[in-house]
Amino acid sequence: MSALVAPWPISLILEPEVFIPLVYPGLVVLTLTLLGIIWLERKLTAKVQRRYGPLYVARKLGGALQPMADGIKFAFSEQIIPRGTDKLVFIFGPILLFTFSILPVIGIPLSPGYTAIASDISLLIVVALVVIAPIVLLMVAWGSNNKFSLIGGLRDGYLMISYEVPIILSILAMAALYNSLNLIEIAEAQAGTWGIFLNPLAALAFFAAMLIATGRFPFEIAEAETEIVAGWTTEYSSALYMTNMGTSYTRMYVMAHLFTLVFLGGWNPIPGFLPASGLLPGLMILVKSLAVMGLMVLLRSIYPRFRVDQGVRIGWHKLFTLSMAAIALSVLLVASGVWVIP
Amino acid sequence: MTKSRTLRHLRAIRTGVKHLLFSNRLTCPYPDARQMVSERYRGMIRLNRDKCTSCMLCARACPANAIKMYVMDGKKLPGLDYARCIFCGFCVDICPVKALEHTTLHDVAYLDYKENQFPPEKFAEGGKDPYYVPGGVVMVEIHDKKGLLYKRKAVEKEEKIVKEEIEHVSKEGTET
Repeated sequence: MSALVAPWPISLILEPEVFIPLVYPGLVVLTLTLLGIIWLERKLTAKVQRRYGPLYVARKLGGALQPMADGIKFAFSEQIIPRGTDKLVFIFGPILLFTFSILPVIGIPLSPGYTAIASDISLLIVVALVVIAPIVLLMVAWGSNNKFSLIGGLRDGYLMISYEVPIILSILAMAALYNSLNLIEIAEAQAGTWGIFLNPLAALAFFAAMLIATGRFPFEIAEAETEIVAGWTTEYSSALYMTNMGTSYTRMYVMAHLFTLVFLGGWNPIPGFLPASGLLPGLMILVKSLAVMGLMVLLRSIYPRFRVDQGVRIGWHKLFTLSMAAIALSVLLVASGVWVIP
Repeated sequence: MTKSRTLRHLRAIRTGVKHLLFSNRLTCPYPDARQMVSERYRGMIRLNRDKCTSCMLCARACPANAIKMYVMDGKKLPGLDYARCIFCGFCVDICPVKALEHTTLHDVAYLDYKENQFPPEKFAEGGKDPYYVPGGVVMVEIHDKKGLLYKRKAVEKEEKIVKEEIEHVSKEGTET
C-alpha cells in the first residue's frame, strides 16, 4: 500500500487491521453476501422445485432485493419479549452469538502480507473462535423459557459434540500436510496442488461437518421447522430474530472462507490482472467462498432432514472415522515422500 | 451397503443439479400471467336457467353440500356456494338437461364471505374474470419440452369463446 498516495481516511480503511474486520471479510461484505446468499438460496430451491421464487422486489434483477425488503420489515416490526424469559440473556444472547460468529474473520488473511493477525497459529485461532458460538446458542435456548427452544438448543448441543471433533481432526490433517498452523503458509503451500486434491478425505469430512455446524440441510436439525417450530429461535421476533437468522448464515460465510483457505488454495492461483500482494487477491477467496456457499445452500433443495440421532451417528461413525483416515492419509503422504511442501 | 449409500447421495445431488440446470418451470406468476387450460377444464360452473327443470339432482349429488335450491318466480333453481364447492363436477355430470356447465375460470378468491355465495341470478352469469389488463392478459401454455410459453393472445381467445357460445346457442336453437 506504500506506493499508493491516498488521503488518510482511505489509507486508514485500507490498513489490514481495519479493513479485515470491517470491510472484507468483515461486516460490509458479510452483509452484502448474506443478502445475496439468502436470495440465491430461495432462487435455487425454487428452480429445483420448478417454481419462480422471489420475483416482485426489483423485478428486473429477479427479485434480488427481496431479502433487503424482508430485513426492513424485520427491523421495524414489534419486538416482543415474552414473560418469564431471562431478559438479559434473551436480548444480549443473539448479539453475543452474532459477535462470536463474525469474530473468526479477523484471522483470515487476504494475501501473503495482508492479515490482521500475523500469527503462526492463525488457523487455531480461527477454529477456536468458530466453536465458541454454539455455547452461546445453548444459553439463548435456555434463556427463552420455551420447550421448543430448549429442545432445539439441546439438539444443537448434541450435534456440537459430534461435529467439532471431525472439524478439528480434518483441519489437523491438513496442518500435518503443510507442516504449519499459519493460514498464510497453508495457502501459499497450495500454489501448485490444492488441498482438496491432496487429501479429499479431509475435505469431505470438513465439508460435511461444516454442514452440521452451520445448520444447513440435511442437518438443519436444531431449527427443524416441521418438528419444533423454529428450534432455539422460536421465541424471537423482529430485529433479534433477524440477528439469529443471520448468525447461521454468518457461520456458513466464515466456514466457507476457512474451507477456501485450507482446501481450495486460498488466493491461489492469482490471475494475471490482479497484483500478487495487497488486498486484491482476496477477490479470489471471495469467489471461491461464494461457490462453496452456493453448493451448501443448494443442498436445501436436494435433501430431507436427518433425525438428531442420525445426525449424531453420522458425526461419530462416519465423519470421525473419515477424519482419522484423513490424518492417516496425510501422514502417509508426508512419510512416503510423495508430497513435499513447496 | 456403504458404497450403495454413497452412490445414492451422488444420485440425489445429480438429480438436484439436473433440475436446477435443465428443468422447466411449471408455475407462472399468477396475476400477471395465467395458465391456459384445456376446454374440458373443471372451472367455475355456469347455470342455464331456461334449461333447468328444478329436478334438484345437482343439490343431491353435491358431495360438499355446496348447492342449495332457491325459489325464484315460483321456480326452484340451484345456487352455488364457492366456499364449499370442490369443483368435482358431479353436478354437471348428473344434470339430465345439461343446464350446468364448466367454464375455464377458476378465480374464486373473494374478500368477503358473501361474495362466495352464488344465488341463481349470479350462478347463471358464471364466474366473472376478476382481473383486467388493458393490453390483454398474458396467457401461459405449459409445454413439456419448451417450458412455459407466454402468449398475449387472450383477447383472441376470449373472442373464440364468444364465438363458441354463439355456435352453441344456435345449435340449441336448431335442436329446439
